[in-house]
Amino acid sequence: MSVRAMTNLITYRGGVSQLSYVLHRVTGLGVLLFLTIHVVDTSTVFFFPSLYADAIAIYRSVPFMIGEIFLVFSVIYHGVNGARIAVFDLFLVNRWEGRTPDNSVIWTMAISILLWLPAAFIMGRNVLEKLGV
Amino acid sequence: MARVIHPPKYHEMTAWKWMRYSGLLLIPLAWGHVLIQDVLVGVDRIDLDYVSVRWAYLGWRIYDFLLLVFALAHGVNGLRQVVLDFISKKNIRWVNRAAFAYWLIMMLLGAAALIGGVRQP
Repeated sequence: MSVRAMTNLITYRGGVSQLSYVLHRVTGLGVLLFLTIHVVDTSTVFFFPSLYADAIAIYRSVPFMIGEIFLVFSVIYHGVNGARIAVFDLFLVNRWEGRTPDNSVIWTMAISILLWLPAAFIMGRNVLEKLGV
Repeated sequence: MARVIHPPKYHEMTAWKWMRYSGLLLIPLAWGHVLIQDVLVGVDRIDLDYVSVRWAYLGWRIYDFLLLVFALAHGVNGLRQVVLDFISKKNIRWVNRAAFAYWLIMMLLGAAALIGGVRQP
């Protein structure tokens, strides 16, 4: 990574729009990392069926269950923000400039958190149950 | 002397469009999958029997196959885009090749499981 690319990460355009750009990339890469692990663990049902239980046992551990809650947020945020980008790119290209995108960034985060909270509640309760709280 | 002509890269435009199309399609596919497996069923209830019962329905295998196809292509192309932002022009070819190899290996692994199904140990 060049120095210029790194400083651009901080200084390019700035504001909430750039924050959403960074978050979109981070959540996307995070989901791809999980997808890769998940395809490998699922492929054991065919290649090494006796190992599948061991693979799933990792997901059942408390650290992974907490990670799963963040994974769900990543999938939700990347989807809502991706829909925002797709709608602007495909139907509202001339609206990219001006205040509209900034407002949509705030709305995107609000919608994502609202969709995530019920899921986080259910999954968080499962974690507490496992901890015996 | 022959002139060097650089034709417009239509395939990059196609990839750009399909990131939007596949992304919109992945909202119901991926969210549905996460909602059912992670939130409603939960990882504690997933085991080899659960997978074999689920995959006994052709519909779920088709669902999972569509999810694999669109999520993997979308994800690997996204990774390629991120990497290309930090790579000099002469290495683009190698980034594309590595991305294709990544996509191919994961696709073969996933497709083998989906087509072969659960083998009882």
